[in-house]
Amino acid sequence: MISKIMAAGLSRRTFLKSTAITAVGAALPGAALAAGEPIKIGFLAPLTGAVAAWGKPGLDGCQIWAERVNAAGGIELSDGKHPVEFVSYDNEYDPAKARTGATKLIREDGVSFIMMLGGDTWPGVQPVADKTGMLFSTLLPSDLSPDSTTLIAPTEVHPIYLVTGVDYLADTYPDAKTAVICAQDDALGLPSVATYLAAFEARGIEVLEEPLLFDPATTDFAPIVTGLMSSNPDIICLDTCYSDYVHPICEQLFQQGYEGKLISATADFYDQMIAKTSKEFMEGFIFQFPDFDDPAMAGDKINFEDAKGFYDAYAERHPGEWGAVSWEYASIMDLWKAAAEKAGSADPDAVITAMKEGGTGKHAFGDAKWWGTELFGIDNALVGDWPVVVIEDGKAVIKGFKSIPDWYDQHGDLLIKHMQAYDQMYDQRG
Amino acid sequence: MLKFLIWPLAAIALLALPHGLSFSQQEILVFLTINILLVTSYRLLTLTGEWSLAHVVIMGVGAYASALFTKELGIYVPVSMLLGGLVSALIAVILSFPLFRMKGFYFLIGSFAAGEIIRLLWKHFRDPFGGAKGIKGIDPMPDFSIGIYDFDFFEPVSYFYFAGLVVAVCMWILWRIERSPVGLTFHAVHWQDKLAEASGVNLRAYRTLAFAVASGFAGIGGALLAHYIGTINPNSFDLDYMVFVLTWAIVGGTGTFYGPILGCVALTILNEVILREMGFEQARPLIYGCILIASILFLPNGLESIVQKFTKRRAKP
Repeated sequence: MISKIMAAGLSRRTFLKSTAITAVGAALPGAALAAGEPIKIGFLAPLTGAVAAWGKPGLDGCQIWAERVNAAGGIELSDGKHPVEFVSYDNEYDPAKARTGATKLIREDGVSFIMMLGGDTWPGVQPVADKTGMLFSTLLPSDLSPDSTTLIAPTEVHPIYLVTGVDYLADTYPDAKTAVICAQDDALGLPSVATYLAAFEARGIEVLEEPLLFDPATTDFAPIVTGLMSSNPDIICLDTCYSDYVHPICEQLFQQGYEGKLISATADFYDQMIAKTSKEFMEGFIFQFPDFDDPAMAGDKINFEDAKGFYDAYAERHPGEWGAVSWEYASIMDLWKAAAEKAGSADPDAVITAMKEGGTGKHAFGDAKWWGTELFGIDNALVGDWPVVVIEDGKAVIKGFKSIPDWYDQHGDLLIKHMQAYDQMYDQRG
Repeated sequence: MLKFLIWPLAAIALLALPHGLSFSQQEILVFLTINILLVTSYRLLTLTGEWSLAHVVIMGVGAYASALFTKELGIYVPVSMLLGGLVSALIAVILSFPLFRMKGFYFLIGSFAAGEIIRLLWKHFRDPFGGAKGIKGIDPMPDFSIGIYDFDFFEPVSYFYFAGLVVAVCMWILWRIERSPVGLTFHAVHWQDKLAEASGVNLRAYRTLAFAVASGFAGIGGALLAHYIGTINPNSFDLDYMVFVLTWAIVGGTGTFYGPILGCVALTILNEVILREMGFEQARPLIYGCILIASILFLPNGLESIVQKFTKRRAKP
């Protein structure tokens, strides 16, 4: 009986091995891969529904990444080269479906690593991760906690990187002294609100009203925008709103005649936003996710190989679909590949050890350090520089890279204060 | 003879069922079992002619209550599940005062508003409901052994046996209620309300009773869900989920006890197993929607009408 096997001194390794025997064709981490056998990587993110914009473009990016790696011979482990293959599961941003997906990917598909968006779905997967010891990645470090040592946030340090956008705004437009914030009331919106509050406070920008938290089911943004504009702020901050919100909010701001500064975590599919508003209205829109054909992405410190080639391939295959996550999961795979090749194995333990060796890692935007004990209770977030992007003449342009650790060294207490106020510290969650 | 054998055979088939499934299908089976209780309890409410849009939120009330009872008060999980059901029933009784001043479409909209108010309260009060992020780290059902079988509730097979037993008992109670004079009165409240009222039936009291009983069982379903996945948040019980419950009931048909169950089983297998296995993962909402439209066009009386046709033909000779 399965439960008897599980009860008899279950360890991560015995669990993995027992399920490997049971699952047909499963090639689980720890079990050696046959020469030339593909390494399977799980992609567990929303591919349909309201949050799909932060899942599907990532999977598309991963397919391009896999083609490039496989064309170059694959991933070199101690027993030779292996091609890489992605296995996806649409979790619909639902924790129950995420649990089912994690179970399928680990126990049936035999993946060696699972990439997730995280957020609401992570708590459903956490027991599976704890029981199996599978290595997971999240785009949201707010999922990190000392309870889960095999969860890493190696690319996006949401929401901490948002401080770099506010710093740029304050440096460039010193006369902008008041702001209002709106966000969807969920696991993505709240830590982001806390971060923007800290960043504005650090630069002496007054937040005029309590952040306006709207229900994720909202479809009519006219009253929200009217409310935001009522205090006549210099800056309107769109927080980490999903693109399904950013677009109608911008449309409403345009229609209601807003003329101040706009700052947001993302501006996915910004060409569509320009089409719905105007080039002039979107001029100067500050966000955090660059197009990879930007000349700055060809700089020496950039660790994402052939960023422009990747962007061009993506744009050709999925025109108009480039977004915040198009490159992020692929960037995580760059780190994972380097660590697996260093370890000579796809085993989760070996990979994470190799990945964190020396306490530093090669982040897409430059060398970074494993960090996060104060905020997340564990150093599993890879943090370094992050770009500030501005729309100029209808095109996203990188205005510079700013250091997140440097900001935190100066203002970390502010961030902790606001995170605590929103119950977002790792020891306050749940 | 066959009649006496059918239940033991069904029980054996259900015991064997998870062992013929893959790991992920076992997980889906657990959620399907819970959803069967949800949709069956929903049918009890529809017997009185009222369709609520708050049923999933009421399920969430049971989930939140049970999670908080175990987390905050340390109450034993099975007891907290029952208490979760009771809290759901109690909330339904309280809601019935404003809601049963309305009927039909107005009740439907009123129930939607009531459900949204409850969801907003969960979001607004981070203490104790956890706000938008909800509650995490909910105590799982404690493992135990019965000698011949060790229940490890991380494993879907064990949880399926446990949830299956709970759901079977709940469904038996719901079945008995429907077949009792109370159940017949529910039908009368729906189809012959003036006549029933003239006969001394308190329509509002019976509507409230159906609402409370249905909510109580939905609450137990929510508690089963919460203690399995270990996390709940307000979005876990949103309108999308309610739309699924409605489609299960409509596609299956609500004329018989088994109609909504058929709808739930058929559509879950279609959406979660067949379409995923066929590689239509991202096109599932589109295909699912087309199949729904087709089933409503060509099977207006639901899947239960196929079963009825088959059983009638058999009964003729």
